[in-house]
Amino acid sequence: MNRSDSPLFSSGLELGSFVVTSNVLHHSWAAISELYGEIHEPPSWASPVRFRTFQQPNCTIIAFVTWPPCTKEHLQGQGGGDLVSSSALKETFPLFEFLSTKTNPRFSINKPAIDLFASVRGVLDFLKSQISTKPLIIAGHSVGGSVASLFTLWLLDKINLATTKRPLCITFGSPLVGDDGLQEAILQYSAWNSCFLHVVSDRDPVPRVLISPYNPTAPELASPTNQYKPFGTFLLYSELGCACLEDPESVLELLVATYSEGPGFDYKDIFQQLNGNVICKDSTKDDEWIAQPLPAGIITQLGAIGLGRLQQLQQQSIDMNTLIRQTEIRERKWLIRRREAYNDSKLNEMKVNMAQLEWYKKFSEDKKIGYYDMFKNEYDSRNNTLQRFKKSLTCYWTDMVDEVEKKPQWRGASFTTRWLFSGTIYRRMVEPLNIAEYYRDGKTDYIAKGRSKHYKLLEQWLDEDESRSASRPNNPKKQNLKGGLTEDSCFWAYVEEALISVNALSNGQYSSNDMDKHKRSLIQFEDYVWGMLKNCAVSSEIFLEQSSFMKWWKKYLEIIRKGIMGTSPFTEFMQNRQYSQYAPGCQ
Amino acid sequence: MAGGTRVADIIGMRDDQVINKACSFAMKDHKPPAKPYILEKSRGSPDTYFFIFPGSWLVSDWFAQKPFGETKINRPDNPPKFPSLRSIGNDEVATVNDAFLRRFEEKILGASDFKEKVQKAETDKKQIVFTGHSLGGSMAILATLWFLDNCKFDKTSPPLCVTFGSPLTGNRIFSHALRREKWAPYFIHFVMRYDIVPRLLLAPIPSIEKEFESILRFFATKSVNKPEEAPDFYRTVMTNAASVASHAACNLMANPNLLLETVTNFTALSPYKPFGTYFFCTGNGKPVVLRNSDAVLQLLFYSSQLNSEAELHEIARTSLDQHFGYENELKKMQDVVDLKKLETLSYSAEATGSDSATINSALNDLGLSTRARLCLLAAVEFEKRKQRNMDSIDTKKIQKEITELESYRVICKTRLMSCYDAFRLHNSPHDFKANVNRLELASIWDEIIEMLKRYQLPDDFEGQKDWVELGKRFRRLVEPLDVANYYRHSKDEESGPYLGTPGKPRKPRPKRYIYTQRWLEHAQKLPAESSGESHFWAEVEELRTKTSSPDGFEQVKPRVLQLERNIQKWVNGEELGKDKDVLLCQESILVKWWKTLPDQHKKDSAFNNLIY
Repeated sequence: MNRSDSPLFSSGLELGSFVVTSNVLHHSWAAISELYGEIHEPPSWASPVRFRTFQQPNCTIIAFVTWPPCTKEHLQGQGGGDLVSSSALKETFPLFEFLSTKTNPRFSINKPAIDLFASVRGVLDFLKSQISTKPLIIAGHSVGGSVASLFTLWLLDKINLATTKRPLCITFGSPLVGDDGLQEAILQYSAWNSCFLHVVSDRDPVPRVLISPYNPTAPELASPTNQYKPFGTFLLYSELGCACLEDPESVLELLVATYSEGPGFDYKDIFQQLNGNVICKDSTKDDEWIAQPLPAGIITQLGAIGLGRLQQLQQQSIDMNTLIRQTEIRERKWLIRRREAYNDSKLNEMKVNMAQLEWYKKFSEDKKIGYYDMFKNEYDSRNNTLQRFKKSLTCYWTDMVDEVEKKPQWRGASFTTRWLFSGTIYRRMVEPLNIAEYYRDGKTDYIAKGRSKHYKLLEQWLDEDESRSASRPNNPKKQNLKGGLTEDSCFWAYVEEALISVNALSNGQYSSNDMDKHKRSLIQFEDYVWGMLKNCAVSSEIFLEQSSFMKWWKKYLEIIRKGIMGTSPFTEFMQNRQYSQYAPGCQ
Repeated sequence: MAGGTRVADIIGMRDDQVINKACSFAMKDHKPPAKPYILEKSRGSPDTYFFIFPGSWLVSDWFAQKPFGETKINRPDNPPKFPSLRSIGNDEVATVNDAFLRRFEEKILGASDFKEKVQKAETDKKQIVFTGHSLGGSMAILATLWFLDNCKFDKTSPPLCVTFGSPLTGNRIFSHALRREKWAPYFIHFVMRYDIVPRLLLAPIPSIEKEFESILRFFATKSVNKPEEAPDFYRTVMTNAASVASHAACNLMANPNLLLETVTNFTALSPYKPFGTYFFCTGNGKPVVLRNSDAVLQLLFYSSQLNSEAELHEIARTSLDQHFGYENELKKMQDVVDLKKLETLSYSAEATGSDSATINSALNDLGLSTRARLCLLAAVEFEKRKQRNMDSIDTKKIQKEITELESYRVICKTRLMSCYDAFRLHNSPHDFKANVNRLELASIWDEIIEMLKRYQLPDDFEGQKDWVELGKRFRRLVEPLDVANYYRHSKDEESGPYLGTPGKPRKPRPKRYIYTQRWLEHAQKLPAESSGESHFWAEVEELRTKTSSPDGFEQVKPRVLQLERNIQKWVNGEELGKDKDVLLCQESILVKWWKTLPDQHKKDSAFNNLIY
């Protein structure tokens, strides 16, 4: 569907206003201050993480704080900004291995945060047991917020998002937790990313400390790959209002730009301030005619998070116009990227392509050729259109397989048997066409040298799935070969190799060593076909007069007659034309 | 054309007389015990009958159960009182404030001569006006809805519903269904810029219940002293209105951040939404007109925002006073500003010309900030997007595929087969080609259904004659192929009967057929599930399996009889089209199966004549 002509809107203000009026901030901060209130002992570093579960009428809140609360100085001090890499974590604390994927194998997490999280490792399962069917908020303040984030991340791997409502992690003034690897791991799944809401006041230094320019203690970390990067949604607020931001680049820039150094502040004032703001008009001029909604929205947003204040701009030496333009460009990209992610209505299109191939197959059978040879010999003008269907199917499935490989956790929920079923039909239908092209071009040894990875994986997953469900009773209607397609999608590659061997033998111009090799492989091939025939696993179209298989058989028969090869139950079956009784796939 | 538009122009009346009359009738102080309704005739125009509904100042008349007190508008009893108030394909029934509905059903429909009087007025060809102030406005709305769905009326002089300061009454399906039925223009709502009552139901009942008692007491006595709860009350209502409005605005702006969804799980949002035509009264006699209900919802919030916290006490008092300010406001009324022009002007042009100046000053009169205007634009844009979604449907391709399948049917006929039987055998290249056509169509129609599910098509889509007709043609032609495909691949062994198993919510039958069948049944006012001519083959297949066991026939005899009756009806009618000639040839699955039935049954059955 073409949506390019509709103007884009930036909804950060509206989302911010919705979050503020929804009470989630209120509940979580109340839980955090109650937790702080319970702590009477003098500060000690022995057990710095404090947590508690609060059962509310319509939600459960798990709150984390540290005692004493973390300050800017802690983070700037010795080791405050250290990162632990995923490979080091693998040895000591392997709870986050699920975040490593093929395309994004490495990530790093703030060391103090992971150490604090490790200190509550023993109670993770207890905390998980506290979760009921009520929606769950995980809240934390400052470094307690980092622990809350890590706990939420751990939890996302443990719960099934298809059946459970997403938890909501709310942090107040929490420092950044990890690097671009961690960011990428979370951003890949918009559902995961949507579980994190980081509330940041324009007056709070802590959430800004670990952003690179503010990290003088660890200059070696300032390389572009080793910087702290945000994930989730940020609710930035000032006394003028608030806005939600998701694009990580903008978050990073605006975290820095909005900082306004000033006297102490407390997140407890946030509600009065923001709720009051909600029912009052924003400070922008009234009578402006809006020419473009996106920049207009961004200007209003930047104003709300404090960038309208003149002294702020001077203090930070920011050029407002550049900032607006950059934010707009990024927001535009972000919106388009996010929207494309939802466009997944291609499955139907693929069904049509498959039906086109089925039609071609039927047409070829009627011509007594079989679609493999029809395609290989380019007998038909239809081949061009066929190429198009084949190409679009291959693109689709290569991408799908890629996705699944990238995200192993998909294979639990979304990666269903049904999906695999479609993939298998596709493989059995289309791979023979790849084989045809391969041997048409005069190449050999398809299986070792020519086979695309996505076919291998589809086959491997099917095997795994079948061995998992081996306890299920076998399909009694084996006579109905699925879709009339040969089960082994590489069947024709074996036929081609057998043809090569049989040609070699009848030419007889090779060394006896080579001849023995060809003989062995022909016997192997015989066994292979015979096994498939007994299992009804091969389509009867292979027996069509002009098929490569029958071509092979005619040559093979000659060699047998010459006495080069012996007879077998298979050769008798072929010689007696028993295959005319063979049914699978005949339609 | 800048200015010069009158209220009468908008509602298609000769002059503003009717509105003024309605207002003075509606605003009259109806001392308790009030009558359920009052019938008044205007001296000036004897052909207009006013049905006036008094309000109520009892809390129990406003709220039923918590937190929002809504209920389905059609109670489980049959037949539904408001059959049109739903979405057709999704079959989502509108919800309405339970207390309002009960009051309407018990006091007005059940215990008064309202029905007789209103029917008499219609037969006497009177112009009927339903009107009310405050809760009376909601009664007028329900009375009008009941009238539209249950009485025959002359489309050239439809009834009119005029409300003043009415609370929100129903959910978004109201607007959706009324626009589909083209009834939305009959509803005219006047709302003062600060009147709290039209915003009231955006807040959950528990949050305002306590203050609301004294507010209502103040309304009833009209005492000079404002209740001290007023500021808190205003703040709570407005905060909740902000929540509803910003949530809606996120969706209007196509917000891609799933955080919206995550947070929504933690809050209860009011289901109530505006519908019909709104006149926002700005206090200077130039009301602003809107018909886009998404935009109205935004304005309900934004137009009564504070300039600053300092205004709270003053505006809180105004928000109560203005509930009674309608008569004064209407006296001042000069021109109206129609925001419909916003759709054509909006941001695409520079702010030039008198139209944009008029609109700009109207938006200023409503006190709209940039943010508010962005929300308004998003609402306008959202409506355009729905239209564009509809325009992007490839109807040419649908026509092409259908035409090809129609020639497939002709080919089958020359082979002396119904397409069902041919497609089920699937042994000719034509069948394969037809399968491609079937899937191409499925792909287009599934996308349509997906958009309908998300309400991304114009509200009147399911009521458009062309689409109902195309849906019918598509369903009758293609569904037999889907059924054939289903049983050809023995999908019933895995997923059960094509039409679903009783008690199981998931049906194998594709939604593209369920929806199109519902469109037809709604358009022709047929009972639900009555036009199943496109899927009777599924029943044939099911019965075929059932009767193959020894005493199978006896168990399903009623179903066999029903099927025979239906097929006879459809063969005699036009439902089966050209297929009916080959339906009963000897090679058909239907005939082959029927011949296996017990001889006694065959002898007695009227079907006998059809087959031999």
